[in-house]
Amino acid sequence: MKKIGVFLCWCGSNIGGVVDIPKVAEATRTLPGVAVVEENKYTCSEPGQVAMIQAIKEHNLDAVVVASCSPRMHLPTFQKAAQQAGVNPYMVEMANIREHCSWVHASEPERATQKAMELVRKAVAKVAKLEPLFESYIPVTKRALVVGGGIAGIQAALDIADAGHQVVLVEKESTIGGRMAQLDKTFPTLDCGT
Amino acid sequence: MTAAAQHPNITLYTCSEVESVGGYIGNFEVAIKKRAKYVDYTKCTGCGLCETKCPTKKVTSEFDEGMGQRTAIYKAFTNAVPSKPVIDKNSCKKLIDGKCGVCAKVCPTGAINYEDQDEVITEKFGAIVMATGFDLIDWGKYYGEYGGGAIPDVVSGIQFERLVNASGPTGGKIKRPSDGEIPNTVVFVKCVGSRDVQKGKSYCSRACCMYTAKHAHQVLEKVKGSDVYVFYMDVRTPGKMYDEFYMRTREEDGAKYIRGQVSKIFQDGNKIVVRGEDTLVGQSVEVVADMVVLETAMVPRLDATQLAQTIGFSYDKDGWFSEAHPKLRPVETNTGGVFLAGCCQGPKDVPDTVAQASAAAVKVLGMFAKDQLAANPQIASVNEATCVGCLLCKPICPYKAIEGKEISERAHGETLTRTVANVNSALCQGCGACTAECRSGSINLKGFTNQQLLAEVDAACL
Amino acid sequence: MSVNENELPWQPKILGFACNWCSYAGADSAGVSRFQQPSTMRVVRVPCSGRVNPQFILRAFQRGIDGVLVGG
Repeated sequence: MKKIGVFLCWCGSNIGGVVDIPKVAEATRTLPGVAVVEENKYTCSEPGQVAMIQAIKEHNLDAVVVASCSPRMHLPTFQKAAQQAGVNPYMVEMANIREHCSWVHASEPERATQKAMELVRKAVAKVAKLEPLFESYIPVTKRALVVGGGIAGIQAALDIADAGHQVVLVEKESTIGGRMAQLDKTFPTLDCGT
Repeated sequence: MTAAAQHPNITLYTCSEVESVGGYIGNFEVAIKKRAKYVDYTKCTGCGLCETKCPTKKVTSEFDEGMGQRTAIYKAFTNAVPSKPVIDKNSCKKLIDGKCGVCAKVCPTGAINYEDQDEVITEKFGAIVMATGFDLIDWGKYYGEYGGGAIPDVVSGIQFERLVNASGPTGGKIKRPSDGEIPNTVVFVKCVGSRDVQKGKSYCSRACCMYTAKHAHQVLEKVKGSDVYVFYMDVRTPGKMYDEFYMRTREEDGAKYIRGQVSKIFQDGNKIVVRGEDTLVGQSVEVVADMVVLETAMVPRLDATQLAQTIGFSYDKDGWFSEAHPKLRPVETNTGGVFLAGCCQGPKDVPDTVAQASAAAVKVLGMFAKDQLAANPQIASVNEATCVGCLLCKPICPYKAIEGKEISERAHGETLTRTVANVNSALCQGCGACTAECRSGSINLKGFTNQQLLAEVDAACL
Repeated sequence: MSVNENELPWQPKILGFACNWCSYAGADSAGVSRFQQPSTMRVVRVPCSGRVNPQFILRAFQRGIDGVLVGG
C-alpha cells in the first residue's frame, strides 16, 4: 500500500478561521494509507514547502495530499515541491478546502469542518489509486503560419519575424491590409490607416 | 504593410487560403491553396500599364464596397501590397471567351500568363496564428424598414469610409452615390445589427460608437455648414482619449446626437426621410436628409466556422473563434499551437487588435524559445488487449486525436490482424470524452482513470 | 434514523462533477467572492464534463447520494 502524506493548510485564518483543522487532522490520521498528517500555517510558503519536503523524505512517502486552496491556483507549486523531494509530480492531489469550503461556508463552521474532512478523505482515496506519469517531449518546428493579412496578421507576423523566426503570411485577397486599408483616418488620433 | 512585405523573415502568399491542416502543436502540416493570379510576379514590375489599357473598366470594386469601379486586371487599390495586379477571371474577356489579350500585348516584361493554374503547396509550421478578421452584417437582408439596400444614398459605414478616403473613388470628397451631390444633411444610425436580439446580433460591436463620432467629425469638417444627426442607443467610449474625442465631436463640431432608434428610412423625391424616436424628449422625430449612413454590426466571416473546423479549434454561437479562457488565456485556443489575433475572436477596435496580435506573437515566441515541448501526460491511453476496434471514440474526440490502427497478434497458432483505437499523444488534450464513450472500458484517461474517479465517488458518498 | 441532539440536522448530500476549465473555475470564483452557499456539495474535479461516465453517476446513487450535479 502507498504511504500517503496529508498536509493541511490553515492559510492563516482563511481556512483555519472556519474549519477546525486539528479535528480534520485527527479524522485524517485514521484513513487507510495515511502515514503522516501535518498542519501548516501556510503550506505554499517557503517554510511550508520545506516542511513538506522534509516530511516526504523522513517518512519515505509515495504520494501527497495537500488540503488547501484550489488546485487551479497551487497544484503546480506542490507538484514542484514533491518532485524536489523525489516524488512523481502526478502523485500529488489537492483537497480544495478554501474556495470550496471555508470561504463559502463561513457561517457554518461545524458543517464546513465536516465537509473538509470528506474532501480530504476523497483526495486520499484518489491519490491511493494514482500512478506516476511521465511527460513526453515533442519537437518544435520554429516556423509560424499567420492566416489573414489584415492589421492583426501583419502585426503578429512582424513581431514573430523581428524575433528572428520565419513566418508565412497567407492572405485570401490580392493584397494585404484587410479592413484597415479601407479605412480613412482612425480614431482617436485621426492618423492614416496604412 | 510594406514592412511586412519587405521583411526578410516573412513570406507573403496572397490570393491564398488554408485548405487543410494536419499534425499537432509544434508540427502542423498545412496545405495552402494558391489561386491563379494570371500574372507572373517574378516578371511583373508593377508598372500598371496593363490596368490603363484593360478594356473592361466597369467592374464593381470590392475594395471600394461598390462605391467605385475597377478593371479586370487590377490592383485592389493604389498602395496595394504586393504592388502588382491580378486578373479577375470572372470579368476578364480573354479568360471568359478568349477574345482580348490586350494586357499580354502591352506588358513590357511578358508577365501575363492566361494559362496560370491554382496550386496547392504543403508546408510545416510549429504554430498557427488566426487573424482572419470580420465581415459586416448584410444589413439589406434584415432591415427592410431601412430600404433594404434599395435606396442608393443609404450606405453602410464601410462604404462611407471609401467615400471619405483620399484614395477612394471620390478622392476623399463626400458625394452621394446617386447623383454625386455633396450632402448637406447626413444622418448616422448606430447599432444596425448590433444589440438587436430579434433581427441582428445580441452583442455590441464595440468600435462603432467611436468611428461614428469620427464619421460625424469628418462630415462636419469637410462639408462646411452641414448638419449631422446621430441616432444612438447608448454611447460607449471606454478607451484612452475616446470620450474626449466623442465630446469634441458633439460640443466643438456640433454633431446632434439623438437618443433613440430609427423605425423607418424612405426616399422622398431627392431627399431621404429618417423617422425615429427621441427617447430623452419622449417624441417621435423626423429628419429630412441627403444621405444616411448605417453603422453596421461586425460579424464573423462567412467561412470562419468552416476554417475553424478544418484546423480543429472551437468557436462560439455567433461564429467568433473561442479563446481558451476569457480573461487568463485570451489569445490561445483550446487547441495547442493555435493562437488568435484581432477580430476573428470578436469585435474590437484597432488599438485592441494590435495589442492582441502582439500578445499572440509573444505566445508563439514563447513556444519557439524551446527546442522541445513537454506534453501533458494526463492523456488517453488504449488497452489494446480489450479494445474491440469499434472506434466510437474517434468521432467523439474534439481534437481528432484518435485513429484506428492495425495490430497483429498470434492466436491459436495463426496470426490475426485487427483494428484497435490509437491515441496520438501530441493531439490529445486530455478531456476524456473518449473514456465515457468506450463501451468496453478499454480507453482510460491517465490521471483521471475510471478507477481513480470511482474511488473519489465512493469516498465522497460514504 | 437516530435522533441525536449533538448531530447536525439532516441535509441532502450532493455530488458534483465540475469541469476544471469552467464550472470548477466558477466554483473557485464563487469562493473568491465569498458567495455563501449550503455546504451540501462535494466536487470531483474532471478535465471536462465529457469525462463523466454515466457509470459514475449510477455508482453515486448506489452509494446513497441524494443528488448529482454535472457542470461543464
